[in-house]
Amino acid sequence: MAGLELKAVRKDFGPVSVIKGVDLSIADGELVVFVGPSGCGKSTLLRMIAGLETVSDGAIRIEGADVTHMPASDRGLAMVFQSYALYPHMSVYANMAFALENMGVAKPEIAKRVQRAAAMLRLTDYLDRKPGALSGGQRQRVAIGRAIVRDPKIFLFDEPLSNLDAELRVATRKELAALHAEIGGTMIYVTHDQVEAMTLADRIVVLNGGRIEQVGAPLDLYNRPDNLFVAGFIGSPRMNLLPATMDASGALLLAGRALAGAPRGLAPAGERLTLGVRPEHVEACAEAEADLVAQVDLVERLGGETFVYGAAPGDLALTIRLDGQTAVARRESLPVRFSRSHLHVFDQTGQARRPDIPARS
Amino acid sequence: MTLIAPPRARPRGPSASLLDRFGHAVVRVFEPPFRALQRILGVRRMPYVFLLPNAVFFGLFVFLPIGINLVYSVTGGTALFPSQRPYVGPEQYAYLLDCGSYLDPSTCREDHFWRGVANTLKFTVFQMVAMVLFSLLAALALNRPIRGRGFFRAVFFFPVLLSPVVVALIWKWILQRDGLLNAAVTSLGGQKILFFVDPSWAMFWSVFVSVWAHMGFYTLILLAGLQAIPRDIYEAAEMDGTRPWRVLTRITLPLLWPNLLVVLVLVLIRSVQVFDEVFVLTGGGPGTATQMIVQYIYTTAFANQVQNFGLAAAASVLLGAVLFVLTLLQLFLTRRRAA
Repeated sequence: MAGLELKAVRKDFGPVSVIKGVDLSIADGELVVFVGPSGCGKSTLLRMIAGLETVSDGAIRIEGADVTHMPASDRGLAMVFQSYALYPHMSVYANMAFALENMGVAKPEIAKRVQRAAAMLRLTDYLDRKPGALSGGQRQRVAIGRAIVRDPKIFLFDEPLSNLDAELRVATRKELAALHAEIGGTMIYVTHDQVEAMTLADRIVVLNGGRIEQVGAPLDLYNRPDNLFVAGFIGSPRMNLLPATMDASGALLLAGRALAGAPRGLAPAGERLTLGVRPEHVEACAEAEADLVAQVDLVERLGGETFVYGAAPGDLALTIRLDGQTAVARRESLPVRFSRSHLHVFDQTGQARRPDIPARS
Repeated sequence: MTLIAPPRARPRGPSASLLDRFGHAVVRVFEPPFRALQRILGVRRMPYVFLLPNAVFFGLFVFLPIGINLVYSVTGGTALFPSQRPYVGPEQYAYLLDCGSYLDPSTCREDHFWRGVANTLKFTVFQMVAMVLFSLLAALALNRPIRGRGFFRAVFFFPVLLSPVVVALIWKWILQRDGLLNAAVTSLGGQKILFFVDPSWAMFWSVFVSVWAHMGFYTLILLAGLQAIPRDIYEAAEMDGTRPWRVLTRITLPLLWPNLLVVLVLVLIRSVQVFDEVFVLTGGGPGTATQMIVQYIYTTAFANQVQNFGLAAAASVLLGAVLFVLTLLQLFLTRRRAA
């Protein structure tokens, strides 16, 4: 297995720039997830690493060797496609053996590797079947098996679970996590599903508009988003983002009221800010202690937890996560208070302001 | 359920096109009788009413001639009207099929027929190999992102639009003794080649012209097949480190096989029926070197001094039987592919 390095990588399609200079290092054995909204360039970046898209500028290094202009077939990587891309006319065995035959591996060795991968992926009983006679989950496992048998330098996964139903997606996600723990290879995984990203990744790379917004461990991104985009993208339901300002004394003002106990002096006085607070860090309280009083618009009871969607005066939309058994009804007034240790403040440019990041004058 | 829907409002005003007005005028004329028919026959029988015109035309111009042809094949003499022709039973068929050895036309009583069969077989084999090979090569080339791909696709398809006689005449002008090709050969210091005097050259050019004229159609079928192969399968093959030749033999050709089969059978059917191009190009010559079965039928029935309709009809029934089997094969392959 191997590490990967991207140096100022760019991709232009004519006048349109899709990847706008990406720098990234991935360590040997790491599982890194590229996540971002549709059109952010995550699949394009993966295909550039694979060698299926040319690189307009910059460099890609695998194990320290420059592979920027090397054909995909020579990079020694394996890719699992969103559509599986299995060879429909070949049996499961032939699909998995094909790359090894291309490499000139001896037949007994091919048989050994295919059987081992098939056993790992519970495909032994299906080796003679054609892909058309398999379920979606089985096809996905064949696609993964095809990658495993090659013992590639890096595994690339392009939204591999998006064609599966919800239940199978969760099951396959667990299998992938177990697989990574077992074979320990370097893996790059592309998804638009932040739950997949949070549950699978050693590190998450959040992409937006062809640029990296933030790279970090899942909980780092969740707890310390660097900007508004990451704050809004990571977490479900998304973080509450409310307009705020800073008064002359350095206190944070929300809906014209100072938030006692909130971080102070994060920005120059009068600067328009955005206050971020996750739904689970908003708690119901007595009206006297409330930061805001929300008018409840919608209540979603999931059993273990309840999500309340409402609005506070000043057109402030709020999502609140409460205990599953909390009695709350539509059109009720719900006084709420924000957990002071979990507040996020963003400046006018959308960058995070934290006590460890000094305010700009 | 009503098959004939209530009439829409008649188009009025400047926005109603001339075509709309014409359409509504036609509907106004035809609607009353069809409504009356629907009342009499019921909705379930109305589709047969709509099929009737085509069935009548098809019957008149296809099934009736087939029937007449069968009658001719079992009657003898030179009279044109069936009523004046004596019944001879399977005599014509027996005459056609009377051979010492089917591998040697000269041992057959009607050796011209068997020479036609042998020539058609030879033409069919060469034509099938050349047509499939060149159509495949053209389709593979046109499937690549080459510059001017649209132009080249049109160029390859253009000859298909020409009448076979026009195609044959164009190539005759090129290939005849004082044609363009010989002009080019002599300008380069070579000797004139008499393409239509040498039997091998005559057969070669018959196959060549036929391939040139029709390969655009088969290229289109194969191109459609190639474009139906998902791009990500090729990308997976690339990731699997597959070299181009192996991609062709292990991925492209197996996935294109259903289309190739259809092309093979269509070319086979067409080759067995070949007549006009070769007849105009070589006249069946030199001697009988390029005389095909259909030309034999034509000559026997209409061009010989003694017009032997019975023998020609029997030969066309035999040819029809072969074509029937081939068509069944094509239908079987096409349906299996659709399934």
